[in-house]
Parts: sequence; structure tokens; C-alpha cells
Amino acid sequence: MSRPSASTSSSNRSSRSRYGKEVKELQDALNQNKIESKRDAIRKIIDAMTRGKDVSMLFPDVAKNMETSNLELKKLVYLYIINYAKIMPDLAVMAVNSFRKDARDKTNPFLRALAIRTMGCIRVKLITEYLLDPLKESIKDEDSYVRKTAAICISKLYDVSPELIEEQGLLKLLENLLNDGNAMVVANAVCALLIVQESKGTTMLQLNPYTIQKILTAMNECNEWGVIYCLDALAMYIPEDGKEAEAILERVSPRLNHNNPGVVLSACKIMMKFLDYLQNPETIRQNALKMTAPLISLLSLGKEPEIQYVALKNINLIIQKRPIIIEKDIKVFFCNFNDPIYIKLQKLEVLSKLANNDNIQQILHELKEYTQEVDVEFVRKSVRTIGRCAIKLEKAAEKCVTALWECLKTKVNYVVMESIIVIRDIFRKYPRKYEMILKDLCENLKSLEDPEAKASMIWIIGEYVDTIENADSLLANFSENFKDEPANVQHQILVAVMKLFLQRPNDGKELIHNLLKTATIECENPDLRDRAYIYWRMLSTDPELAKKIVFTERPTISDSSYTIENELLDKLIENIGNLSSVYTKKPESFVKKLRDVLNSKIADKIDDVYDQDQLMEGRPEDYSDQQGGQSTVYENNYDTSSQIQSQIQQSQIQQVSQKIDLLELDDNQPQQQQQQQQQQQQQQQPQIQTQIPTQSIQNIRIPFAEVLTAITPGSQTQIQGLSIEAAFQKNGDKIVLDLKFTNKTQDKTFSEFGIKFNKNPFKLQPDTIEISCQPVFPGQTQIAQLSINTNGPALEEPPQMPYKIQVALKTNLDVFYFFIPMSLSVLFSSTASITQQKFIELSQAQNLARKQEVLQITIDPQRMKEKFERNYFFLIGARKDERGVELLSYAATLVNGMPLLVNVIHTQTAINLQLQVPHPTLMPLLYQAIGFILTLN
Amino acid sequence: MFSQIFILSPRGDTIINRDFRSDLPKSTPETFFRQAKTYSGDANPLFNVDCIQFAHIKRGGLYIVGTSRFNLQPAMSLELLDRLAKEIKDFCGVINEEVLRKNFILIYEILDESFDFGYPQLMATEQIKPLIVNEPIQPQPDSVMNSLRPKIQTFNIFVPNTMGSQAVQRSVLNKNQANEIFVDIYEKLNVLFNSSAYVINQSIEGCIQMTSFLQGNPPLKLALNEDLQIGRQQGQYSAGVILDDCNFHECVNANELDMNKTLRIQPPDGQFVVMNYRISGDYAAPFRLFPIIEEISSSKIEVTIKLKACFDAKIIASYANIRIPIPKQTANAYPELVKNAQQETAEYDSNKKIIEWQIKKLCGGQERSLKIKLTLQATQTAHTARKEIGPIAMNFEIPMFNVSRLQIKYLRIEERGNTTNPHRWVRYITQSSSYVCRI
Repeated sequence: MSRPSASTSSSNRSSRSRYGKEVKELQDALNQNKIESKRDAIRKIIDAMTRGKDVSMLFPDVAKNMETSNLELKKLVYLYIINYAKIMPDLAVMAVNSFRKDARDKTNPFLRALAIRTMGCIRVKLITEYLLDPLKESIKDEDSYVRKTAAICISKLYDVSPELIEEQGLLKLLENLLNDGNAMVVANAVCALLIVQESKGTTMLQLNPYTIQKILTAMNECNEWGVIYCLDALAMYIPEDGKEAEAILERVSPRLNHNNPGVVLSACKIMMKFLDYLQNPETIRQNALKMTAPLISLLSLGKEPEIQYVALKNINLIIQKRPIIIEKDIKVFFCNFNDPIYIKLQKLEVLSKLANNDNIQQILHELKEYTQEVDVEFVRKSVRTIGRCAIKLEKAAEKCVTALWECLKTKVNYVVMESIIVIRDIFRKYPRKYEMILKDLCENLKSLEDPEAKASMIWIIGEYVDTIENADSLLANFSENFKDEPANVQHQILVAVMKLFLQRPNDGKELIHNLLKTATIECENPDLRDRAYIYWRMLSTDPELAKKIVFTERPTISDSSYTIENELLDKLIENIGNLSSVYTKKPESFVKKLRDVLNSKIADKIDDVYDQDQLMEGRPEDYSDQQGGQSTVYENNYDTSSQIQSQIQQSQIQQVSQKIDLLELDDNQPQQQQQQQQQQQQQQQPQIQTQIPTQSIQNIRIPFAEVLTAITPGSQTQIQGLSIEAAFQKNGDKIVLDLKFTNKTQDKTFSEFGIKFNKNPFKLQPDTIEISCQPVFPGQTQIAQLSINTNGPALEEPPQMPYKIQVALKTNLDVFYFFIPMSLSVLFSSTASITQQKFIELSQAQNLARKQEVLQITIDPQRMKEKFERNYFFLIGARKDERGVELLSYAATLVNGMPLLVNVIHTQTAINLQLQVPHPTLMPLLYQAIGFILTLN
Repeated sequence: MFSQIFILSPRGDTIINRDFRSDLPKSTPETFFRQAKTYSGDANPLFNVDCIQFAHIKRGGLYIVGTSRFNLQPAMSLELLDRLAKEIKDFCGVINEEVLRKNFILIYEILDESFDFGYPQLMATEQIKPLIVNEPIQPQPDSVMNSLRPKIQTFNIFVPNTMGSQAVQRSVLNKNQANEIFVDIYEKLNVLFNSSAYVINQSIEGCIQMTSFLQGNPPLKLALNEDLQIGRQQGQYSAGVILDDCNFHECVNANELDMNKTLRIQPPDGQFVVMNYRISGDYAAPFRLFPIIEEISSSKIEVTIKLKACFDAKIIASYANIRIPIPKQTANAYPELVKNAQQETAEYDSNKKIIEWQIKKLCGGQERSLKIKLTLQATQTAHTARKEIGPIAMNFEIPMFNVSRLQIKYLRIEERGNTTNPHRWVRYITQSSSYVCRI
């Protein structure tokens, strides 16, 4: 496209003036009387809008044309208004009158519907109430096209201002539409009620035999998409008895012959669900078999591969629940050579599920063909599938092993490697049964590049040391490079050599001696070293026992490891035709996060905040995940919407106060002591009590992170029960460390705290080793603050994300080691040292790392500037480009003198950042720090 | 349902971007394009980035994408996008970047009538046609842009090159349109032979497709074979045409199908599939391939492939292309056609290690053959290399021929007004879908 693009070169003066001229021309055209010139002008404007150019300044000129009688022009104007109304709510109000007028137009139902539809798209709270009257009238409109539009419009407005819609009783009117005579209106009402239900979280669509009848009747008449809405509603219904379920199935099953795959899968969802309510096995069978042909038809090559993929995923679930649905038709799951790879892999998955003793010969024949294809991934999965069949079907195992044997003989590297891995599993399942292939296996020792294949091969040798005559020399060969092997191979070598020694002591004596020596002295992997030590000790104390342990009976493996557990399967069956059936994940796992944001209505707010709380604290109920949990807030990358941010802010404040409250309530100590304790707290941490209200004019307050949990034992006497929360803070120009000790023991008292930091990149260390803090009695919490200087020993390594400082904490009882996370914002120097001149120099320097980032938060630009300034990000310069976009340049210096440069563009919904730092590892830290500065108080 | 629908050019430029629910970031198209580019081949049709669900299809090189935050219905979503593409095609004639850029206003209008709040409303061309006020703008056929743009090779099995596809590429809004209707029976064959030309697996996927330009959309009655039977019982053999399964467009009333083998159709404008059907039974494959491999020496292999057209001599296949993969270690390959071969070419693609044998026209009953002489690199012997030859894949098209014998007995236009008798065109086309011979 060769149009002049005004957005690209910011310094190009000619393009700027051309842009201004263009705007002027468009304005003139819009103000002319000729419809054609107006239309062309708006076309141009919308074209620019689509390309992402900002044409919002033309809003008044465009909106003027709303009242035209020309439908084409009107539609264009509406399109423009929908796009910009949210950014310019004040101007959007201008449009309201025109909407109200059009919605009451006597002559043209399309015009009424257009107005209703469009005004619903203007997502501005301010406007909603003006639209309620025309909306109420349109629900009762004589034209069904208008009514169906009105139904959806209610759900749109509910999304914008739910309270208002409920107050005005519009939901009631929406329910009444279920009784409408027109099927499309009923279908849309069902759809709208489901939307409201989704966001409200309570049942909106009352399903009872009466409404079910309504929906079933409407389903016969409305279009295919309406059918889907109706089916979705039906799927939520719980039938009273088998009879009712059967009657509904009777009405639903003809939908299986629809050529819209969406309809077919929605119908299958109901079928699968309602079959559970039927009692008569014959009825169940008959109904289940109705699904067979339609499901297979979804796989015809005429269907788009995308649809086939979805169908395969769903079939895979359905046959796990009701295998009779697809028993015989295995041929449709044979791969076509031109199937996309994602379909081939799914077909293999289904084939392995369908394999039984009758069809295994046929399936194996196919699988063997696949092992000769070109695509490596497909070939490997085919070999694996042969192995799965062997493990699943004991009677057919021999045939499968023969097939794998043929694979070994091909000598194609990746086929051989995959076969070895599979054969290992078969040997585990059927010990000592298929020794005849050992010879061919042992011929492939040289080509084993893949560690898993290598480890498998060594395991097999170890298992058959008594059968393989030259096992000792084979293992000796493998041991030569012992130190360079990956961990899993090392483990297998060790185990195999151990087996060799136990079975054939004379052949393995020297080997095990050398190996144990290497493993205990030269290896760094603690698991391996420990295992070697254990073996060594076992051998020196009781070799017979060692034999027993090494050759102990192992748990058998079965094919069930590939099937989905029943509970999840039922959940997924409920979601046939939805995304979760494709991802095989529960819907909560990928939809929840965003829906929570949506649901953060006032009523739910407290709960939500509490959820966030737990997230931030490293999930107190889940100690096993300490490492990940300790500082979730630090790893949070601020991609989520601003709502979460604001919730975090609120939760910070609530968290602090709530915690203290809770402690006091739970405490059984005498009241006097409680008061005393409270006083102590107030004395020791006046900052927390008093700073919260005044935070906004101070530095940001980094939230506490749980750095030591009560179940982490100390390093010397293994004392447990001390929990510590900590955070580095900037306090004026000083850096401080806030610590919160909680004693969760019943009978111990912690006192005499001392602290030391490990070497770290910014040379941080506490001013004094001792921490002045009262002893912490059982059940109590104490707070301490220490000041930090930057004269400590340096670690010559750049900081990594997440940046944490290792700390040793001494108490009277034990010494604890843990990490305290640190935000870069704490390390900003409080004096402005970068001048404008310096900034330009630095930003042109070659050795700085650069990156563009977007921070999805909504913040007032003035407030943003304030926050930056207060946290020692200094404004260096500001300039505007021709579109009026302001670019702000900020700089900060770290305590060690490193410069950090940031260019900021503020927009309504996000902040665009251009970061420049001396070292790339600082990039995520700086991004995180900016996130903190802008979101925390 | 959908939060946004956008259409991106192959380079990731936004051509159309309609936001229905404003609950996703504005940068979502970029997020999509970045993610789609991370796949080595075609991107998975459904994926999820940071709790945003993406469903997309690719048409004419363009990405047509729907996004959502919810547990959406993938089959429905993909179907919707496909229908949208068809709608655009019905209005504009073709889908490509230039046409979309020219008609973006029209496409926004189509989007607004088809979807409300991201939920599908009217997705059929004839239903939204009265609501659309914009006229499609046809691209200049010989513009400089067109001649400069490299032709995108798309292999669409539904666009035959036997007949000028005037029906397919015409916009439904064309003013002075002829009063006519096209009925096509497409059958796509799926056959797998083993090396001794024995059929391992075969099936037919067929459809009856209509392209209607009838004025006033009168109801139609379509009659099929009298020996038609739907649903196959185990172990049953019948002389008639047995369909394993079939499904219908929503404008079709199939109540009378079982009784008197007729369908009642209320045809919409433009192209639509009346009925899809599937046949898994045995049928005579139209082409048979006989490969013979000989090891001449330890470094030389000779491959001879015979092709036989097993259909009536009156019928002519419009093309037959055969691809033969040969060993990776091939040093050189010489495909040799028989002497005096006409309308036939055979070429060796040394990069892909593939022999392409193209036959332009082939009458029923004829035989063709090709000899390939391979010389291997010293690193591999003929004995191991021969396993890398194949499978042989074949593409072909045979007009006026169908293997299932499904036929249209008559197409009656009911309630015909006073207009002249509309033209009715019926054609049969058989194509390969997956026609493979293992070696």
C-alpha cells in the first residue's frame, strides 16, 4: 500500500503537515451537503481507524452526520462512534438523541433494530440510562427482527451496568421473551440469558419442564446458530427421570444429522449427558449408536482439517466413556498421507484406545507402515503406539514385539531409539518373556544419541546381565564416559553395574569399584552421589540384602496411565463441543483468571481480594510449592488488567490490618499481655501503622513476601515453627529491610536475632549484625526494621530475575537460611545525576540493551508522573509528536551508578515503555520495578 | 462467544478488526500473529495465550481470526469463521487481500449483520442481503498490483478446473444476472493400495453442491437414484447405492428421502452444500498403479510405474499427477517416459527428492508408464535405499464421472413464475482426496 502513512516518521515535517492537511480536508468534506463526499470522507476515516491511526479528533464532525436519512452513511457513522465512544464518553452523549429518535422510528424496523444494536455497543455507563426507555419499547416491538436484537442488547448493557439493568427489571422482560411466538427471538433470549448467567454467576435461565418444552419447540424453527443456543441451554437441564431424558433425547437426536459440526457436537453433549439417566440397557445402546455415523462423518476429508481435529479430540473422550459408540470403524482413523501432523497424532491416540485382540493385527499392519514415513515425530509416536498396544493387550503382545523387532532391523536411527524405549516398558510389563530380541537390541549400541534411549538400553542390559554374555564389556564401554553423561544415563549405568556385580561378582568387581569411586568422589549430582554411597554401604554390610533390594519386585505398568481419570473425564464429557474438550483441561484452568476480573462486582470483592492475598503470600496451604510461591508477587509480570492491580493494592492494606486482627482474636493470652504486645508493635513499627495513609506522598511500599515458612527446619538443630515475612523498602534516601517474625511453635521462644547477607551484586549489607527485636513468644508476631548500606562484599554477577538476596538468620535456637526478594525500585539513587545531555548520549550508546514493553494498566497521567518522581525516576524531557502523543523520558541511577533510561508513552489503557539498561538481565527487573511503582502505594 | 473478529494479511497487517465486547487488549492481533508464527508449519487452529482463546482459519493466504475469553465451542467457532469467509466470497466473488482492502466497509457491514455482541445472528448470504447497503467493489483485473503479486498456489479441491468456474467466482450481487442454477456432484476418493495393487482401505466423500442464481428463490425438488439406501447394515450386500451416512443443509427438508428419494429445498442465494455423504463400501478404483522396483547393482535402482485408467473410454480424466518420493541419498535420477509420449512430463526435483509425473489428459482404458533410473551416493546400498521409495501419491480429476453412481434424476423448480425456464446445469466431478500406493 503506497498511501502516505503519517504515523511512521515522527521527525518528518512534510508528513506532519500533510497529515494536518488531510484532517482538514476530511473535515471540509464532512461539512459539505453532498452525501457522496461525506460518505467518501467517512470511508477514509474508517480506513485510517482500522489501520490503527488515531482519528478521534474528527468525532464532532462525524457525529454531526448521525441524523442523516441515508442508511449507508448512517451505518458508517455508527461504526465510527462505536469505536471511539469509550474514549470520548462526553462526546458520545451527543449521539444519544439520534439513537433515541431512530429507535422510535415508525416506518422502518431495520432502522429501529440498527439503533438498538449500535447503542448497545457503546460501552459507556453514562449513556446506558438514556437507552433504557427505547430498549424497553423495543422488547415489545411488533417486528421480530427488532425484538431479537433487543434481547441481545439487554445482555450487552448488562455487561456495562449490571445494577441498572437489574433495577429496571429488564431481566424480567428478557425472561418473558422466552414466550415469544418467533423462534429466533426465543433463541436469542436463551442466548442472552446464558450470557447474563455467565457473568452474574447465578441461574438466570430457569429450566423446568415448561421452559424445556418452549426451547425444544423453538429449536425446530430457528436457524442453526439458534439451535446451538437451545442445545446449550438443554445441556444444563437435569432431567427428573429416565422417561423425561428419553423424551428429550428423542427430540435432540435428529440434530445429529445437521451439517453444521457445531450443532452435531452440541447434540452429542446432550446425548452423552442424558444417557446416564436412562435405565434400560437396550435404549442406552440404541441411543448411543445414533452418534456413531455423525461423529465419523465429522472426520471426512471434505471437512476442514480444523474441524477434524476438534472431532478427534472429542471422539477420544467419548470412547473412553462409552466405547460401544465407535468399535468397528477403525479404518477411518487410519492416517492419510496428506493429513496435517496434528491430525495424525490424534488419530494414533484414538487407534491405541480402539485396539483390541480382534483388530490388533490390522492396526499393527498400519502402524508398521507409518514407521516408514518421513515425519520423525509421527514415526516416533507410531512406534510408541505399538508399545502401548503391547502393554494393553497381553494376548497380542507377541505380535507387537515382532513388529518392534522389525523396527529395530530397519537401522533407521530414530526408529531404533524409539523402539528401545518402548521395549524397555514391555520388558517391565512382561519380564523374561521376549529375550529373543536381546541380540538385535545389543547390535544398536553405537547409534544411541537420545539420552532416554541410551538409559533404556542400559537398563535392559542390567536387567538381563545373566543372559547377555558380554554384559560386562558392554557396561564397561558405557562407563567410560560416565562423567559426561546426563543424569538419567548415569543413574542407569550405576544400577546396571550394580546388578552385574550382584549376579556375576567376578565380572563386575572391578567395574563397580571404579564406578562407585567416581560417583562418590567426582560427581556433583547429589542424587547420584547419595545413591552410590547407599550402594557402597549396602555392599560392605550385607550383600544379600543389597541383592534383595536391587532385585525387588517392581510395580507393574499398565495402559491406564494414558487414560483420563473418571472425575476429569466426566467433567470433560460435560464440555464436549467446548474448548476444554480440546485442551483436555477443566474450563476453570484457562478461563478462570479473566472471569474473576469480570466478576469482581462489589459483592464478590472481599473474597477475591482474599484469593489474591493467598496467591501473594505463597499459598500458605501449599507448602510443597515454596520455591514458586515465596514471591509470586515479584514474578507477576503485570500482563493482567488494571483491575487486578487495583485489587492487589487494596489487598495490601487489608492484608496488614486483617492479619493483626486475626492474631489478636485467636490469641488466648491474657488481655494485658495483648495490649502490651500491641504497644510494642506500635513502638517498633510506627512506619506501618502511620505510613499507610501517607504512603501516596512517600516511596512505594513493597508488599511483604513470606521468605521462611514455619515448616522449614533450621540448619543445625532442625527447629521448625518460625515464619518470617520480609521486604526491602526505600525510605527516603535510605534502604531498609522490614522483617516480620511469627512464632508458630507451642512452646519455644525465639530471641537474639542476628542477620548476615550473602555476597550480592549491589553490595548490600545490614548496618549491624544484631537485630534489635523483642523475643518472640509462641503464637506472637514481632516486627523489626534494619537499615542497609551498600558497602558490603560484591558478587561479580549481574542480578537475575527474580532478584533475591540470600540471608542467614541466627536465633537463640537455630540458624535459618532463606532468600528475600528485592525490587529494583529500592535501589534507585535518590539524587538526580543524569542530565538531558547525558541522557541523549547514553541513549545513543551502543552497549545498552533495549526493549519495548507494554504495561496494561490504567492510570491518570498526572498521577503517573507524580509516582515516578517520588520514587526517584527523574523526568529528563518531554516531547509531542504530530499526533499529539506525548513521549516522556525518564532516568534513574542505581546505587552502584548504573543508568536506567525509560521512554514512556501514556495511553488510556496501557503504558508503552521503551527500556534501556546497561545489562540485559536488568530488563525484567526494571519492568517489574516500574510495575511496582505504578501499582503499589 | 467471539470477543473480536479480525482479518490479517499474510504479513500480519490488520485489514479488518471488529471488536464486539471490548474485553480484550487492543494489541490482541499482534499477540495472535506472534504466536501463529511460532509454529513451524500451519498453526494449530485453536490455541490460548494468557487466557485469550484464539480460533482461526486461513483463506486465500489471509488469517481470519476469532478471539474469546470464554470456554468457547471450537467446532462452532471454526464453522462460523468458515461461513464468514463464504459470505465474503459470495459478496465479493473472491477472497484476497486486495479485494478485502477495497471492500472493507462492506465487510464491516457484513460482520455487523452476521454477529451481534460476538454471537452469530444471520449467517446466510440471502438472509443478510436485504440488510446490506454497500455495493461490492470489484478489483481491477489487470491492475499493476495483480501482475506484480506472486500467484499464491492454493490447491482447493472444491474448485474444479474442468469448467470455467463462472458460477463460483461471481458475486451474488451482480445486477443483470442470469436466472440459472448449478448442481454439482463432487466425489472425493480416498484409496490406499498396497504394493501389489490390492486395495487396503477405500471410501468416498461426496457432496451435492448448488450454486443458485434463481430469481425469487423458488422451492426446488431434487430426486436421486431410486435404489438409494441410507445406513449400512453389517454384512449386507445390495446392488443399490448405499450411503453410510449423510447430512443436510438447513434449507433442506429430507423427510421424503426414505420414501421416494427426493429432497425439498428452499435454496438460498449463492453457493451451498445440499447434502454431504459418505460411502465406505467397495468400488472399482478409477486408476490402478503397478510399481516395480529392481536393484540393478548395489548403487543403481530402476523403478517402473505403470498406470492404468480403469473407466469407460468415453470419459477423459482432465489431469493426473503422480509424485514419487525417492531415497534421500540419491545422487541422480532420470525419469524416462515412453517414446512419443504426448501431453506428459516427468521431472526430478533434486531438492525435495521427488519425481513429478504429470499427465494432462488420459482417456479411459489407456495405460501409461514411467521408468526412473536412480543412482545412489556411495554411502547407501540399493538394498536399504529401496525402502525409502514411496509412497506414491496421485492427484487427478475426472469430469462427468462418479464412482458411487449417485445420480440426480431430476431437479424440478416448483412454483415457477412467469419467467422463462431457468437454466439448470448438472455436472459430476470425481477427484482424488488421498490416493496413495504404498511400495
